[in-house]
Amino acid sequence: MRTAIVCAAIAAICALILILGAGDQTGPNAFVVIGISQGAIYGLLAIGLVLVYKGARVFNFAQGEFGTLAAFTLYLFNRQYGLPYWVGVIAAVVITVLIGLAMERVVVRPLLEKPRVTLLVATIAFALLAIGFEFVIFLPELKNLEPIVHGQGITIFTYILDPQHLIIIGVLLALAVILGFFFSRTDLGLAILGTSQDAFATRVVGIGIDRISPFIWGSAAFLGAIAGILYVPTTNLVPGVVTLYVLIPAFTAAVLGGMTSLPGAFVGGVAVGLIQALSQWASGHYSIGDKLLQGYLPDIPDVVLLIALLTILLARPQGLLGTEA
Amino acid sequence: MTDLDVTEPTPPVEAPVDDRPGPSGFSPSPQGWFARVVVLIVIFGGVFWVTASVKGFWAARISLAVIFAIIGLSLNVVLGYLGQLSLGHQAFVGISAFVAAFYVTKSAHCTTDSCSIGSFLIAVVIAALAGAVAAGILGLVALRIRGLYLALITLAYGFVAERSLFEIPALTNGGAGQPAPRPDGFVGDHAFAYLCFIFLAIVLFIDWRLLRSKVGRAILSIKQSDAVAATYGINVTAYKVLAFMMSGLFAGIAGALFAFHETNVVSNNFNFSNSLLWVLMVVVGGLGRRTGVVIGSAFFALFPYLITIYSGFNNFFKDTFHRDPNYITLVIGPLLAVLTIIQFPGGIAEQISPITRWLSGKRFTKHPDGGHATGEPKSGKRGLFKRRSQNGAEPEAAEPSKELVGSTEGSDA
Repeated sequence: MRTAIVCAAIAAICALILILGAGDQTGPNAFVVIGISQGAIYGLLAIGLVLVYKGARVFNFAQGEFGTLAAFTLYLFNRQYGLPYWVGVIAAVVITVLIGLAMERVVVRPLLEKPRVTLLVATIAFALLAIGFEFVIFLPELKNLEPIVHGQGITIFTYILDPQHLIIIGVLLALAVILGFFFSRTDLGLAILGTSQDAFATRVVGIGIDRISPFIWGSAAFLGAIAGILYVPTTNLVPGVVTLYVLIPAFTAAVLGGMTSLPGAFVGGVAVGLIQALSQWASGHYSIGDKLLQGYLPDIPDVVLLIALLTILLARPQGLLGTEA
Repeated sequence: MTDLDVTEPTPPVEAPVDDRPGPSGFSPSPQGWFARVVVLIVIFGGVFWVTASVKGFWAARISLAVIFAIIGLSLNVVLGYLGQLSLGHQAFVGISAFVAAFYVTKSAHCTTDSCSIGSFLIAVVIAALAGAVAAGILGLVALRIRGLYLALITLAYGFVAERSLFEIPALTNGGAGQPAPRPDGFVGDHAFAYLCFIFLAIVLFIDWRLLRSKVGRAILSIKQSDAVAATYGINVTAYKVLAFMMSGLFAGIAGALFAFHETNVVSNNFNFSNSLLWVLMVVVGGLGRRTGVVIGSAFFALFPYLITIYSGFNNFFKDTFHRDPNYITLVIGPLLAVLTIIQFPGGIAEQISPITRWLSGKRFTKHPDGGHATGEPKSGKRGLFKRRSQNGAEPEAAEPSKELVGSTEGSDA
């Protein structure tokens, strides 16, 4: 119910901006489209973050690196070895999931009973390790990844939305629905929720955390790989690209959505994308004195993002759509 | 913060009382004291000798290592003593570096030819205060938001500082960078390295006195549980903010020194993978142990250069992998951190604890209780591929000093 209200509110705000700015070439209309398509990428990564948080109660700083690793694997198979695109995609997903499982076994498992902050530092170390390996193997050179389909794209309000963005939005919606069903209706989903809330109690009723934990991190790697494969073609491939540009907005999106809510991750992603795009527009459109806003303070979208994160955590820590579990 | 965490024993950072020399404890003989003093002199003399005898660019790297050590001590206050994770430390270091550079060029009108030591000292003080204020703001946020969520806020804070604040044209001289000429008499790399050592000594002294005082005990108790600390009448609000400001003060000193080390401050010096690496170096050094933190930080600052000394390694790397050996350092640091967190939670400090304990006039042992536990198997250490014990109470209680980060966790913000 709350999901519907929040979605309706965001849609209403978008509609209002679009109607008010209709026909205005310098207006914010194109930025609304940019915001939604960027927000879909944030949401895609945020879903993986939410999954790990639901399952292990930790922020997974390596989630972005799952994406970059998958993108590099795809690059290796598709561009360097010349294999077909779909082979590269399958190889990327499989290898990333294996890396995720290895991470679970080597890094996460020994720390399951340690404080969560310890596990958080471990995921940071793992992310930096992955970035280091990317530097060693692929060197810090700009690379490009082919999009899934080449095509014209559709033009909305002077902004050309290429097919990759449409695929991202579609995949994100599908994942949110599937995972929402998984966590509320299936035994495995409920078992994962149980371990995240009280590992000891779930062990008492016969659910082994040793079985659940690989599943959580494997699926997180899977979701991260999908996010990376879909996102990287819209930008350049450099070591740590997903961590650098998507991880913080994705975390903000997840927190905004409530950290435990899968539809929340989607809604939060779109909201964060809109906030960033509109503040980008405003900082280049309005001026104080004879200088534009961005002349005084560069990169206003990230400042607004920090303010949004602070506001939501101080005023409503459970997020827009968050519930316990 | 859950009930479970309160019961988990976290070791006191300082040695327990019965370990101190006295009627019940162990006290070395005069010869023993003599040996300890000799070893200390050899260590400090060795560091001094190395600094004095190396070439200029190595002296610059040593001063960078000292600056890293101060940064490590700064992070250690928040992470090791207070138990909160700060991923945005490059914000404090960067803000104070820019403030120091801004002061000496714009207010004190220093040039590369002349800059009085007085304006240098004023710049360091102002930078330290700026760092304290910047961190104090974050401390106020930390009153409401803890644990994982605070880590996220600090990350975003550092990110904004890097991308936005440090790109303000007035601050960065339109992107060219803010010059920070070194003071007269310390222009050379060797002299500047000694100056950095002096500041490290000052920071170590403040850190030591802080931890031994009421303030330090209060901060350590907040790490255990701020609810329990509050019931003992500890002003949790004030001490939390104070700990952050202390951390910011150290970061400010480090930032000012960094500005003069670089002599031109640009925003590139403060990117966010730096601050993540700083967290790792403190973890590798050993949380809450200042000797370990200093060694760990210095190691992280120096090892990218140290591995290039040995040309055989260089050539092997170039010929076999066709890669610049510098890239391998990007892997070594995180690898050490992962290893530390999983297998050696005490970090370097834990590994060298017999030496540090011996040097401070105690027995040469890993066990602070005077060797009662020697001979017993290390039950707390868990192997990588060993199955986890089904009896949850057994392993952790046996060996207390295995906790990486304290218990103030707050997984629900």
